[in-house]
Amino acid sequence: MPIALLKFPTDLRREVFQQCDPFQLYALSKCSKRTQRSIKLGGTRNWKLQFWGGNLIVASVDGLRYKFGKTENPDEYFKTQHAGRYVKYMGIQWGDAFNMFFYLLETFRIRVVETLGIYYGNLEKFLNAARELIERKIEVEVFHIEDTSEVKDMEKLMRLLNQMNISQKFTCFQKFSSNFHHNLEKFPKEILIHYSFWFTIDQLLECSCVRIELYGSTLSNQDIDLFLQKWKSPGSFPNLRWLQIESENIDNKSPILGMIPPIEHNHPPRTRVSLGADSSILNPVGVTKEDGTVGWMKVELATRSTLKFLVFNPIAPRI
Amino acid sequence: MSSTEQGTSSAAPAEPTTAPESAAAPEVPESFYYVHGKDKVVHKVSAGALQHSALIHGMISNLGYTEEQAKANPFPFENIDGDILQMVVDWCNQHKGKPTPPEDTNLPKQKEKLFDLVLAVNYLEIKELLTYCCKQVAMMVKGKSPEEIREIWMIPTDAEDEAAEKEAKKRAGKEAAGETAAAAGDAK
Repeated sequence: MPIALLKFPTDLRREVFQQCDPFQLYALSKCSKRTQRSIKLGGTRNWKLQFWGGNLIVASVDGLRYKFGKTENPDEYFKTQHAGRYVKYMGIQWGDAFNMFFYLLETFRIRVVETLGIYYGNLEKFLNAARELIERKIEVEVFHIEDTSEVKDMEKLMRLLNQMNISQKFTCFQKFSSNFHHNLEKFPKEILIHYSFWFTIDQLLECSCVRIELYGSTLSNQDIDLFLQKWKSPGSFPNLRWLQIESENIDNKSPILGMIPPIEHNHPPRTRVSLGADSSILNPVGVTKEDGTVGWMKVELATRSTLKFLVFNPIAPRI
Repeated sequence: MSSTEQGTSSAAPAEPTTAPESAAAPEVPESFYYVHGKDKVVHKVSAGALQHSALIHGMISNLGYTEEQAKANPFPFENIDGDILQMVVDWCNQHKGKPTPPEDTNLPKQKEKLFDLVLAVNYLEIKELLTYCCKQVAMMVKGKSPEEIREIWMIPTDAEDEAAEKEAKKRAGKEAAGETAAAAGDAK
């Protein structure tokens, strides 16, 4: 028995749209221009989108994932299927992936992008997307730059980074040219940077992250000593819970907090401090902040030596 | 009744407090109200059941009707079909004093009545039932293509919308022209 939805008063239509899932709303948006306009009356949704520049866009809704996948086969258009317990898939037709991303963002009135990853596509499109997200003041929870040769001149994108609202995590696996410089001015909760030679001690000293992971760093014993000396003073780096630096410039030539690397607790009993599976240190040395907070540190020497530093801090946000 | 008549003035002796703590408070008799729809069939509903409707609850909260007064003054809902009102009343009775579970099996199932039911529930401001009804409406198009949705929800195509818009403009133009001609005739 059909129902004339468009004859419903606006507030009722909005109520119905609120009960629709992303697949229903998308199909509805394709019914007519009028329904497309009508859907937007539904207000802002707390849904989130994930996009990596390719042929898949994921909408996250209350623990469920709705995957929109590109298909060229008309028989598969709007066909839905379960792709796991909490995952559903719908094949749809689209031309440009970025246009589809913004179409869904607009249609669903989404304010938060869960993950924006750069894996495929061309830089111009990512630049436009970044500008658009900045202009719309859309929060990006996780921004990931893959080490991809497909996207050229990534440096240009990095210039927009400080204007983007990245809230949870920034990961960068891109290998920039040796003369690359960039100064991160705003920090999300976590940063993870490979080939991090460009992330200088000055930036580290300004960093407000909960978790910092720097690989391929050029930071030296002196830099790390400077950082830890600053950490020891009360009120410094109140958020910090995990710092990991892998650098070719960590050596046994100069002290870090008065200790020459390698730095570890050599005497029994063996101890392990941990914040989780990927954040643990075996036989660390305790370091006490002036306010009594205890940090645990270990420095291992290798071709690329590594500092691991963990802080148990009940005040800092969880990671 | 004034407070003095009820024997609660300051001069009245204090009530002895000998009743055991576990004794149940005396039950307040439930009050009933009466409603009718377009068909004038009157339904007797308890105030507890009517609490689901923000509209009716607002209407009755300050009335203080006696049973006779309530019977003599049923609330008329002339814009609601009798059978729809019956469904709503049944639902309110079934859910008197308790919240609706997420999957409510006691809800009206008739799809052909859904449109009128949604409008009635919206008018009566029964939030929980409205949410459920809208969920039912939304479920009608689950897994459907745009063509199927257009059919189920009677959505015109862009071409039909444009044609209707043109027709409406044409009609408005004719009406305006008619009015101008009539005004000119009046002036003569």
